[in-house]
Amino acid sequence: MKPGKLLAAALSALMILPLAAGCAGKADGLTILGKKSDLEKTYMVRVFDLYEKATGEKLRVEAVEDGEFEKEAAARFAKGEGPDILLHFHNADLDRFDAEADFLPLNDQPWVSDLTDSARAYCEDADGNLLGLPFWENSVSGCYYNKTILDSLGLDPASTQAEFDMLCEALAGIGKTPVCWPADGCSWMPQFALDPVFADDPATLEALNAGTIDYADIPAVTDMVTWIAGAARSGWFGDDYLKTGWEDISPALSSGEAVMAFIWDTWFYTDFTPGKYTVDDFALMPVFMGTVSEGTYEGGNLNMMMVNKQGGRVDEALAFLAFCAAPENYNAAFDGIATVNCFQGQTTNIQSPMVTAAQGSVAARQRVSTASSRVRGYSAEDTLSALNALLRGKTDIPACVSALDRARKAAIEEGKG
Amino acid sequence: MKKRFWRFWPVLAVCAVLIASVLIGVFYFRFISEKIYADSTDHLGEIYGQVNRTFSAFIERNWGLLTNWGQYFEREGEVTRQIADEYILPKQNHWRFTDFYFISESGEGMNIAGETAPFTLSGAWDRLMVQGYASMAGERLPDGTEVTVFAVKPERHMEYEGFGFDAIAMCYTNEDLAADLRVDAFNGQARCFVIHADGTVLLSTQAGGSVFSNYLKYLDGASDLEDGDLRSMRADWEARASGLVNCSIGDEENVIFYEYLGYQDYMLLSVVPQSVVSAGFLTVQETTVKMLVAIFLLLGAGALILVLVRAHRQSRKNRLELQYREMMFDAVSRSLDDIFLMFDVNAMRVDYLSPNVERLLGVKAEDAAADIRVLGTCAVDGDVFIPKDELLAIPAGGSLRRACAYRHQQSGERRWYRMAVYRLMVEEADKFVFVMSDRTQERQMNANLQEALDAAKSANEAKSNFLSNMSHDIRTPMNAIVGFSALLERDADKPEKVREYTRKIAASSRHLLSLINDVLDMSKIESGKTNLNIAAFSLPELLAELSIILTPQAKAKGQSFTTHLKGSPPETLMGDKLRLNQILINLLSNAIKYTPQGGKIEFTVTDLPSPAPQYAKLRFDVRDNGIGMSENFLGEVFSPFAREVNSVTNTIQGTGLGMAITKNLVDLMGGIIQVESKLGEGSLFTVELSFATPEEAGGDGWYRHKISRMLVADDEEDVLSGIRETLRDTGVEVACAAGGVPAVEAALAAHGAGEGFDVILLDWKMPDLSGVEAARQIRERIGGQVPILVLTSYDWADIEEEARAAGINAFMPKPFFASTFFDTIRPLFEAQEVPVPEPAAAPAALKGRRFLAAEDNELNAEILSEMLSLEGAECDLVSNGAEAVKAFNASAPGTYDMILMDVQMPVMNGYEATAAIRAGSHPEAGTIPIVAMTANTFAEDVRRAMDAGMDGHLGKPIDMDAVRALLGRLLEQKDRGERT
Repeated sequence: MKPGKLLAAALSALMILPLAAGCAGKADGLTILGKKSDLEKTYMVRVFDLYEKATGEKLRVEAVEDGEFEKEAAARFAKGEGPDILLHFHNADLDRFDAEADFLPLNDQPWVSDLTDSARAYCEDADGNLLGLPFWENSVSGCYYNKTILDSLGLDPASTQAEFDMLCEALAGIGKTPVCWPADGCSWMPQFALDPVFADDPATLEALNAGTIDYADIPAVTDMVTWIAGAARSGWFGDDYLKTGWEDISPALSSGEAVMAFIWDTWFYTDFTPGKYTVDDFALMPVFMGTVSEGTYEGGNLNMMMVNKQGGRVDEALAFLAFCAAPENYNAAFDGIATVNCFQGQTTNIQSPMVTAAQGSVAARQRVSTASSRVRGYSAEDTLSALNALLRGKTDIPACVSALDRARKAAIEEGKG
Repeated sequence: MKKRFWRFWPVLAVCAVLIASVLIGVFYFRFISEKIYADSTDHLGEIYGQVNRTFSAFIERNWGLLTNWGQYFEREGEVTRQIADEYILPKQNHWRFTDFYFISESGEGMNIAGETAPFTLSGAWDRLMVQGYASMAGERLPDGTEVTVFAVKPERHMEYEGFGFDAIAMCYTNEDLAADLRVDAFNGQARCFVIHADGTVLLSTQAGGSVFSNYLKYLDGASDLEDGDLRSMRADWEARASGLVNCSIGDEENVIFYEYLGYQDYMLLSVVPQSVVSAGFLTVQETTVKMLVAIFLLLGAGALILVLVRAHRQSRKNRLELQYREMMFDAVSRSLDDIFLMFDVNAMRVDYLSPNVERLLGVKAEDAAADIRVLGTCAVDGDVFIPKDELLAIPAGGSLRRACAYRHQQSGERRWYRMAVYRLMVEEADKFVFVMSDRTQERQMNANLQEALDAAKSANEAKSNFLSNMSHDIRTPMNAIVGFSALLERDADKPEKVREYTRKIAASSRHLLSLINDVLDMSKIESGKTNLNIAAFSLPELLAELSIILTPQAKAKGQSFTTHLKGSPPETLMGDKLRLNQILINLLSNAIKYTPQGGKIEFTVTDLPSPAPQYAKLRFDVRDNGIGMSENFLGEVFSPFAREVNSVTNTIQGTGLGMAITKNLVDLMGGIIQVESKLGEGSLFTVELSFATPEEAGGDGWYRHKISRMLVADDEEDVLSGIRETLRDTGVEVACAAGGVPAVEAALAAHGAGEGFDVILLDWKMPDLSGVEAARQIRERIGGQVPILVLTSYDWADIEEEARAAGINAFMPKPFFASTFFDTIRPLFEAQEVPVPEPAAAPAALKGRRFLAAEDNELNAEILSEMLSLEGAECDLVSNGAEAVKAFNASAPGTYDMILMDVQMPVMNGYEATAAIRAGSHPEAGTIPIVAMTANTFAEDVRRAMDAGMDGHLGKPIDMDAVRALLGRLLEQKDRGERT
């Protein structure tokens, strides 16, 4: 971040402090609505505390159970009872809201220039409107592999899809599980493969969202499904992958049973339990899932603080966002948190050595999380469901692609309704 | 043991052949495998040796080119872009390397275009820069491209466009080099690496790149090679030796071949799956196996076809044999009366049942096959089929025998069987074979034999009894005859004694004669020589004659003898009157004989409904209240020579043949005779007979005699109804009175009304008023115009005088017959009192007559002559038929009144003599009465006599009463000029 921009942000924060302080005596502070689990994140709690201490204003943080959040939030906005600030991912569920009517575009806010490119890209809609302030642990999703095992076997990480397939074959041939693919808990993995399809070709994304083409019309989608089916058939996911879930990823990687996983760096700091192997044994290479030969990385999926345009306290809300975007505040909030930078001025967070080591490759191959956030009706769960039906032998590849389309269209219908 | 071995020897032989085949196969395949494997590995070595040589030449060439180019640059002194473009680029196009680099001592490289890239020449830097040797190394370019670099160090330091360099290099992408090193052998499944002696992979032939950085490490982690093996292999590499190692990577067996590349420490290493190396063997093995399988299959198919053909032939032969056997067995069993069946007791199922079961037992074969217990229902004694427990108690191989009787379910015919049940094991199944051998004929034969034996015994016994009885019965009268004859001789001078003895001798003689007659009659009937002489006869006459004969006998014993008629039977019947008379006299005389003094005998004739109009069916009941018969004797009463023995019968003379003769005669006439009796209470004999009825001439006696109203009085309703029935269609009005008093009243009333009866018929003995008394009262009141008749079963001789005095005009016997009635009243209406004719056999009839008698027995001739003499007649005796013919023919007409002709005579018998007389020319040949006098007394004898032309028949011994009656009648007819 350039010094001039940092100064402007600091001044803005100082300007709004009195305004915020003026409201301190009010009984009803800014209302912030979010998922319960999201609002309990350390850095969120920290920034709320910092704000309340700095302004004296008490925030009304309304935490909704995870399973009920989307409907509850959408209902409240529909009734004109939306919160001042909504904490939400830029994903398909955002279609439940009328973004243009509900949320204030933030392109002209002073802190925008401090955002990293990938973070900003994630938060923009198709028209380039910045929907919210990304305030979340950022990450790089890719293929994290056990470099110790590969080194011991005299194997190199893959740089192409062909090499990745060779690697899988070599590992599978000696009884290793090349890729950890927990069938009941890997809903995010397919989107990694689809990101370059849409990120690299916006026209395709536009046509798909316009309904002029289907997944079946996009060869890369079929390629991905074909690769997943072939990998499963070749034993690259192991023998019992259909019985495994989210909780099985850590044991598989820490024990060395599985050599690689399509996941993100911060997972190693939040969910990975070291075993025979620790985080230091892992390294990052691109994800290869049949779509692009050179592989791909996905940028972070971030929670955004979105300002309710219809709320009565838009200015206070913008002031709160400016407070959060101030370097001293986000550095205080993310101090010691493992995350890739969302702000250019982030210095206190922990940068993953895996990402750092692969920085060049990441820079060359990373895509913004596009599939899940930009494809209308995309549902990670529906995608997984359709793929699992294929992997369990209930459908074939064309039927699976059709099922993906049906699920997508159904979600669009539901969102419209 | 031996037997067991020989039974299984084919199996053992097949097993031995199979084991030998497997052993030979294993040996063969092992040999082939080793041979082909050795060849394949040699082939592998040859192939990669060639690759090695090619690659070595490639290296050599590159280094040679670089050396030349370095010398060229040295000669030029300065390398400019123009020199490089003009000199190197054509070379690049020609040798198709990827790029050309100038390399500085600091490890930086620059290509002709001026692009820089770092060069480490992993491990080969010192060799190049320090030692000045041409080198080869792997390198990753900034864009990530993996390349193999060939570099040489020129003699001196030079510059390219200001960039100082100490070495020059040409590089090829690994992908390009891999394509050159790839071999098509082993189906493209062979991997080839150029590796350093430490295992680092310089180059891989894998398409799409390589993920192997150090193949030694990979083998260490992924293969089953032990540390020692790996060390040994590495030692080989360091020693630049060639080698071949077998190892398993994952689940796949691989062959690793390595050979020194010839430069630096590089080795050429190839990894080929063993399955590929052994593909030739596998192909040979597969082909061999296929061929062997094909051969075995062909041989097996041939053997199978052979076996099937033979099996089919044998099966067909067996089936035909079985079919023939079944057909023969069926045919035999159909013609036999023996039943065969095979039975499974556990399943209660019939496996085989001979088809004759329906013919013999009337049970459908399928029904019996479905449930064998059906046969049990045919058992005569109601026994069920042999119980399962009893069957199971038969030991295996044992049998059970029993006799049983079955009844044919349709015809009811009873058959006897000898059943034999055999328990057999048929193919380890427990079976029971039933052989039901028909013993019906045998049993019937035995029964017949037994019956015949019993009959013979009975007959023998009866004849013994008969002889015993006859001995007694004959001796008794003979004793009397002999005794009284002796007394007669002694008292010949005492006329009273003579008459008494003569009378007793005559009585004994008659008894003896009747005894002989019965015996002969019985003998005749039993021999089947008795024939019936069917002719029209008058039932009223028959009954009247019976009454005449038997009433005196009953009267003599003080018995009541009454005759009843029920219904209105035809008066004229067609039948053998003589035999019918004999039947009824036997029954009635027996009733009189065995009924004590003062007893009651009732004779009833009943007209039964007849099945056809031209026949009459009559029942004759003879009921008495005599001594009766025991129940035991009832069963034998009709047996010959049977007589009940008790204190009463012992005093009564009899032959014991009367009832047997009666029964035989009834049978002969197609009738039925039955008897009911109770000892001490009396007996009832019933005879039912059918007679043909001749067409009767219509009678108009009633009209002629102007009888339109008749009064009948009787205390018995049956009598009254019988008369009413008899007169029903005659137009005569019958008024009935149930006693004498009502009869008088009815007669007076009718007379008073001016409608008097034309005839009054009164029973004699009526409880309220007797017929005689009733007649007297009627006569007193209404005078003597109307004829009054007494109807009675009794002999009216004793009351005739009193009755006539009372005004009774005539008597007629019961039962009432129209013909008898007319015969009785005719004289009254015609006012011609005809005296009752005297019997034709009046003694006077023979007086003055002259007979010609042919008799060969002098004694009989003398008796006849004397008896005729006593009658006042004369008799000329001749000793045979011929003499009789001669004497008659010689006589003047009118000499003889009659010829008495014996039948059995010497020279010419009586029949022949009669025929000769009749055929003769004597004027009286056709009219002279000829009477047989013969001991041949049967009806046939009578008929034969008549057929011979005789006019009458008299049986011997001569009964003078009969002689008088017959001769008197014939003589009277002769006198009237009639031919008898």
